[in-house]
Amino acid sequence: MIVTKKHLQRRLFLRGLGTTLALPFLDAMVPAFAAPRLGATKPVVRMGFLYVPNGIISAGWSPLGEGANFEFGSTMKPLDPFREHTLVLSGLGQIQGRSYGDGPGDHARAGASWLTGVHPKKTEGADLRAGISADQVAARALGQVTQFGSLELGVEAPSLAGGCDSGYSCAYTNTISWRNPTSPNPVEVNPRVVFERLFGDGDSTDQKSRLAQMQEESSILDFVKGGVDRLETKLGTGDRRKLTEYLDAIRDIERRIQKAEQQSASAPLPAMDRPAAAPEEFAPHAQLMMDLMVIAYQSDLTRVITLMLAREGSNRSYREVGVADGHHNCTHHQDDPVKIASTMKINTHHVEQLAYLVNKMKNTPDGDGTLLDHSMLLYGSSLSDGNKHTHVDLPVAVVGGAGGTVKGGRHLRYPENTPLNNLLISMLDKSGVRTDALGDSTGELAHLTDM
Amino acid sequence: MSLLSRSALLPLCALIWAPLGRAQAPASAASAILTQYCVVCHDNQKRTAGITLQGLDLSSVGDHAELLERVLRKVAAGQMPPAGMPRPNAARMAEFSKWLESSLDAEAAAHPNPGRPAIHRLNRAEYSNAIRDILALDINAGSQLPVDDSGYGFDNIGDVLSLSPALLDRYLSLSRRIARLAVGDPTLKPAEEVFEPRREPNRGVAAAVPIRAEWMGDDLPFDSAGGLSVRYYFPLDAEYVIRVRRGILNTPAKIAPFEVRLPMKAGLHIIGATFPKESLKLESVEPVTARRSAYLSSERPEASSAGMDLRVDGVRVKRFPRTDNGVPPPVMNLGIDGPYNATGRGDTPSRAKIFVCRPAERAQENQCAQRILASLARAAYRRPVNEADWKPLLSFYQSGRAKGDFDHGIQKAIEALLVAPDFLFRVEADPPTGAVRNHRVSDVELASRLSFFLWSSVPDETLLALAEKSKLSNPQVLAQQVDRMLDDPKSFAFVSNFAGQWLQIRNLATVRPDPIAFAEFDESLRYSMQRETELFFGSIVRENRSILDLLGADYTFLNERLAIHYGIPGIYGSQFRRVALTDANRGGLLGQASLLTVTSPPNRTSVVQRGKWILDNLLGEPPPPPPADVPALDATIKGARKLTLREAMELHRANPGCAVCHRNIDPLGFALENYDGIGEWRSKDGESAIDASGKLPDGTQFNGPAGLKKVLATGRRDEFVSTVTEKLLTYGLGRGVEYYDMPAVRAIMRETEPNQYRFRDLILAVASSVPFEMRRSADQ
Repeated sequence: MIVTKKHLQRRLFLRGLGTTLALPFLDAMVPAFAAPRLGATKPVVRMGFLYVPNGIISAGWSPLGEGANFEFGSTMKPLDPFREHTLVLSGLGQIQGRSYGDGPGDHARAGASWLTGVHPKKTEGADLRAGISADQVAARALGQVTQFGSLELGVEAPSLAGGCDSGYSCAYTNTISWRNPTSPNPVEVNPRVVFERLFGDGDSTDQKSRLAQMQEESSILDFVKGGVDRLETKLGTGDRRKLTEYLDAIRDIERRIQKAEQQSASAPLPAMDRPAAAPEEFAPHAQLMMDLMVIAYQSDLTRVITLMLAREGSNRSYREVGVADGHHNCTHHQDDPVKIASTMKINTHHVEQLAYLVNKMKNTPDGDGTLLDHSMLLYGSSLSDGNKHTHVDLPVAVVGGAGGTVKGGRHLRYPENTPLNNLLISMLDKSGVRTDALGDSTGELAHLTDM
Repeated sequence: MSLLSRSALLPLCALIWAPLGRAQAPASAASAILTQYCVVCHDNQKRTAGITLQGLDLSSVGDHAELLERVLRKVAAGQMPPAGMPRPNAARMAEFSKWLESSLDAEAAAHPNPGRPAIHRLNRAEYSNAIRDILALDINAGSQLPVDDSGYGFDNIGDVLSLSPALLDRYLSLSRRIARLAVGDPTLKPAEEVFEPRREPNRGVAAAVPIRAEWMGDDLPFDSAGGLSVRYYFPLDAEYVIRVRRGILNTPAKIAPFEVRLPMKAGLHIIGATFPKESLKLESVEPVTARRSAYLSSERPEASSAGMDLRVDGVRVKRFPRTDNGVPPPVMNLGIDGPYNATGRGDTPSRAKIFVCRPAERAQENQCAQRILASLARAAYRRPVNEADWKPLLSFYQSGRAKGDFDHGIQKAIEALLVAPDFLFRVEADPPTGAVRNHRVSDVELASRLSFFLWSSVPDETLLALAEKSKLSNPQVLAQQVDRMLDDPKSFAFVSNFAGQWLQIRNLATVRPDPIAFAEFDESLRYSMQRETELFFGSIVRENRSILDLLGADYTFLNERLAIHYGIPGIYGSQFRRVALTDANRGGLLGQASLLTVTSPPNRTSVVQRGKWILDNLLGEPPPPPPADVPALDATIKGARKLTLREAMELHRANPGCAVCHRNIDPLGFALENYDGIGEWRSKDGESAIDASGKLPDGTQFNGPAGLKKVLATGRRDEFVSTVTEKLLTYGLGRGVEYYDMPAVRAIMRETEPNQYRFRDLILAVASSVPFEMRRSADQ
């Protein structure tokens, strides 16, 4: 371990290979998580949305049996230890991903519709449009009390060149989170960047200088606002959208600074090393992002996180589980048993990462229970059969107790084509975010709490 | 369209229009063709492909320009009417295309629609280069930003470049770091930054395959194998500890690091840790192919007693002795730890650039700060600035000055400058009078259009000064400036961003060829592949060669590693040099390993992927993706024998639903089958001999890469040139090319045809085209 000679007392000892850094003064960073919640009547519910691309082979995913008497399929076996916390939901569909005359592009439509329930506009760039996503509905409400409304994380960086899906901008496949119908939230894949966003970039070593830095940021933001105002006068209405985005971003950060200044109550922050750059291998990278999720939930910096285990349409190869061909290539298996088996290996490997997160959350105390008790993780894909690009009977699992409002250990089957968005508004409801409608929802999803 | 071509066009248009105006004969002849040959499918009932041409009034082409551009594209390429359907004879077809084209062009000349690029946030590459050019700070700052979304195949599309709270957060943090490095911050606390060599991950089942950590680049001497080099910006004149840790990642480090404490001058330096070649010997576990063996024996003699060299800017500053007996352990990482005992901010290019004045006494400080900030703001905002621009910056200076010295005040103002919307966004203003339909962009806006097109960066002083005097839009001046800009090394950005995305060479950075199928692939080869294409593409631009040379050049750029890969003898050392090619197959992009690798899956070749790549990127005819749920091929096993790839593909094409696209795709891909998944020549694929012959639906036959290249450069020349032009225009404008741009595309092609489409001519024609020089006014 490397430690610089000076400032030893303020430096975090790194086990990894990253920079030795000065951690921000921890007390300054610990927010609302403190006293009021511990004895509170209702625990805070955290939401997570974990996405895997290209569908999941149903033969591996589908549980045997329904209700409480079910058995995980082979793909979900890694969740066996958490069976009682897991709810498998069959029959839900996200049919806004269908073509409706738009021709090819099922992957783009799948990614963009998963949390929006809106049929995305087919465009390479001009007039990008989907709908606000469920995580962002939650972020707007739950983000009022936390520094960050939401985090959008990923494990695979956007492609550096080439198109993504026929006739669709890469924005549709790169993210599942839409701040509003025209603003996709980019996904952050670099764990170090996430860490620095949450805990500061290491410039400051104590509360005083960190607060001073925030004040400087505030005055910079004021200056930026002035600049935006001046620019706006030069523009026609059609051009103002980008600047509106900028103003929204400014407000978001101003709010965060305000929260950080208010929430200077002291409580120990969960210790974590500042990560180095992203590991090249999939599992360590995914797990590092998950560590960051847990630390962000635990310290109540945010209550809403999306994590894309890969981009929609991803063709990543998973040699570590013996699959040299790309994921997308494998899913178009044309019934070739070798490719089906390869896809199932990848599907299972993804669920193994989910199990890592669930295990970690189960072992993280939170108020009167564990983080898992107070969370609600949606896991799934917006395609079921990646070979046929099917948008119905999606693989869907909800993990976590959601503060006692979700009863796991069951496999529920809903009528064919029940909108996935019905689940999304129910999840929002259970997090205290009352939402009457989202995308193509038709009503709440029954039976999440009990039979 | 440049002024030149515009004036050249006028008489041409008049010639076309005059006879048409007198008698509607050509229009009615064209209508007759539509009615006779097209309406049979494209009528109001069937609307095949969503198109109806029934009752279309061709006397007013301008009212149907969008539809007719689609018709023209299909007919001119010979795709419509489709094979098997009745079609007019070739002469009538050509006449029809010609009439339609000139009618559309005349209509566009009379009523141009230059389009309207959206407000454009700087992308990562542009941000990096802008920081380099404004502050003389070459640290690839944009690598700290998230990868941008792309559209139309490029990541500089204004419509897609969004700004999220996460990104603004990043800008704030980054501007702090940049300002600190640019000015130098004596309060900086020591920290260690650690760099790792790139390793091949995902070894998985192939546990016997060794870690690939070797790297040779221009920053390391010829005789080094392994090791790594790091470009590092030293923030202050100070001492720094450099540590080289050796061993295998994630195993307990038992080997003491090599460590040295060096005084360094502030600024960018290259730190290299290298094993002199004589210190290495063969790794016995490595699978050795014939090629690999030749490579190893030529590159790596037996081990000797040398240890490791530490180099600063190429000069050895320390030789560490060997401490072990066997193969020396690889470099695990290199750490740079400091600054210690800082002696000053140093004398860096950044400081020279920023501090255009130095206040001799406190009373002069404000005035000097104002000068500095006005000059930085002008460069960053890419336009003349006034009091309203520098005054807010000055107040950041003043609050910084209150807490520190003069330089600290400037540092604080730079922090603010780099998140100013005027810096981060390219905004073009509409003329004050709302009634104008189109307008020329101002000279100052043109300067930015040019600099972001050719440099992916802000305009330099020369461009800005010309623009401020309204001289830049003068055609002669513009031509001189385009030439000057392409001569400038900054135009490498054009190669890496335009060609890198158009040809998808950027994806080389993330490909992971399978270590079993392609044991000889390593980081050195990855680097060499990319470098070859960059140098090759750059030479076409620099020497103003025909873009047809992109397909058929008889030269390339090689170093020893790549020459061995290609089986070309007599090239020694890691430096690239121009090499004349005698093998007609290897020349041009389609023979370059970079392209052949990015169009291959990790463990094999894909005829379909390569064929589709050619259709997408060279011919502009992207085939639709396959329908979902393609049925399995009935007989992958015919009798006891496994089908060859070609037999399997032919079986596949027997299905008419597949054939409609694959008869276009597969022959192109098969022609490249002699190149394996990383571009090495082969005559067999497994047991079966390669058959690289092909026949296109129109009957054109060819064989192998040389044959394919010839077809593309002759029979399909117009499609190729048009595709390159459209890609250039997309990239240059930062927006998608629309139907109303096609007349400009054709004008560019006409203008550059007499000299065989030389690349610089093409760039100049783009830069002087209607969509590049003009803009549609708001809210039409």
